[in-house]
Amino acid sequence: MNSTGHDSGTEHAHHDHDHDHEGPGYTTPQAAIEESEPEELAYVMGLYVGTDIDAPDFLAVVDLDPDSATYAEVVDRVEMPNRGDELHHFGWNACSSSCHVGGLERRHLVIPGQRSSRIHVVDTKDRRDPELEQIIEPEEVFEEDLSAPHTVHCIPGGQIVLSMLGDPDGELPGGFLELDESDFSIDGRWDPPGEIEMNYDFWYQPRRNVMVSTEWAAPETYYPGFDLDDVEAGKYGRQLHIWNWEEKTVEQTIDLGEEGMIPLEVRFLHSPVSTHGFVGAALSSNVFNFHQVETTPGDGPGRYAAEKVIDIEAREHEDWDMPVPGLVTDLLVSMDDRYLFFSNWLHGDVRMYDVSDPMNPRFVDRIWAGGHFGPDHPIEGERKVVGGPQMLQLSLDGERLYWTTSLFSSWDEQFYPEEGELGSVMLKADVDPRRGSMTLDEEFLVDFGEMPAGPARAHEIRWPDGDCTSDVWQ
Amino acid sequence: MGPDGGPGDDGDGPPHRLELERADGSGTTTVTARAAETVLEAAERADTHIPFGCRTGACATCTAELLSGTVEHRREPRALKPRHREAGYVLTCIAVPTADCRLRVGSDVAGELTENPWR
Repeated sequence: MNSTGHDSGTEHAHHDHDHDHEGPGYTTPQAAIEESEPEELAYVMGLYVGTDIDAPDFLAVVDLDPDSATYAEVVDRVEMPNRGDELHHFGWNACSSSCHVGGLERRHLVIPGQRSSRIHVVDTKDRRDPELEQIIEPEEVFEEDLSAPHTVHCIPGGQIVLSMLGDPDGELPGGFLELDESDFSIDGRWDPPGEIEMNYDFWYQPRRNVMVSTEWAAPETYYPGFDLDDVEAGKYGRQLHIWNWEEKTVEQTIDLGEEGMIPLEVRFLHSPVSTHGFVGAALSSNVFNFHQVETTPGDGPGRYAAEKVIDIEAREHEDWDMPVPGLVTDLLVSMDDRYLFFSNWLHGDVRMYDVSDPMNPRFVDRIWAGGHFGPDHPIEGERKVVGGPQMLQLSLDGERLYWTTSLFSSWDEQFYPEEGELGSVMLKADVDPRRGSMTLDEEFLVDFGEMPAGPARAHEIRWPDGDCTSDVWQ
Repeated sequence: MGPDGGPGDDGDGPPHRLELERADGSGTTTVTARAAETVLEAAERADTHIPFGCRTGACATCTAELLSGTVEHRREPRALKPRHREAGYVLTCIAVPTADCRLRVGSDVAGELTENPWR
């Protein structure tokens, strides 16, 4: 898994601490592209929370090896010990940002329950047969005045930080929880309390001493489902927070305005020197670029600006009273920083843009599958797809894009009630980075409707060797 | 809590009979709630599955409709808006019966709190 440490040119040229690469991951994003093998399996969240199926949520192991007899099947499931978790986003104990920490392995998955606030640690030493190793119970999390864990990032030095969306009552403010990688105990709050109100996703760029965090809403607001009254009451977010990474303080808050309602997933470019990144505003259905516009005295993150660079028009639908927003729910950047992919969960398309010039994304291709405008049966002869493209994951070489269809159990029920009865699917597109095109792989459909306990929802996807939404370089 | 004590009364009130009617039409289960026990706790003790999530009254996953009887929420049921409470919805994770109750339970009930706002 570890790279050979060769320098790959421009990417590494500014690496001011050229080093013996001891820790997990690859020396550079380019090394990840060149040295990684095609992914042979995926870890995918499977959900029963909020259904009448009497079973806990699970971690699914999906076979991605085209030469395997069980290709595109769930070959193992790690059931959690409790029901009601809503396993959602998850992350690794270590990634390429811990490149200086010898002895660390990218081996443990940290899997939070979004509704329960219970945090699970799964050991993936045996990749095809991972095992639940440890649990942090909700009461321990509540003691830090936090709840509703969301994004998990390994950070330099062998620590793990989780964005937390609420307090123990499911109200604001949220914050960040820090875990100790050595024993997965709670270290405490990462941030000084009171820096932010709402929280959701975050991404950090340690060499630029910057972190960007986004906003969903208070857990009590989004947990039960989406209500326009809450939007009108200002209960949903529309701000980006620019943090001083070292000081753990918010240096700047950018209000994205009406066009930036509910900024969810945020991704910096992978190059550790870049200050450019993208954030998808789900409700307004826009993509924003953000980047540093000026440095400030000292070694702070400087000043950032955000600008709408992609606008998804709402569409008329014969069965809807109002135009349907695209609902940009997930986005990612290819490891070579050339392409941006994002999903329009309500429309039903996944899009690919050339972001060689990150301020001027150029649309290159899209695939329609499910949603309210795409084909119900994107693969002829296969089962019906309910829900639209949602969580995305891209191979390290940028040639295979995978996605699942569930967003959040209570929101799924509102917008795709059939998904609870039929379960999610996982689909795949073959990507041609040279031509800038995608083709739906008609040989690949993972049916989460066929789980032993009953139809399950499928959510975030991770590869054992790191992926385009978890690895950060120092 | 209970007005008249009786068998099983530990000072916090008597046990109550809970009829849990499945919203999907799959039947009704009867369980007994001990004094000061929530509907969810009583169901779990009887190995009867009803959906739940946060267990703090914030997420509404455990929403049930109170068809008869009375409950008192242990704390503010934050996931329910005034219109939901007026319509008789309760959160089983924090709802303590104060009388024998009949409740409509199951995942379909939580779905009644919201609808597709654009449709």
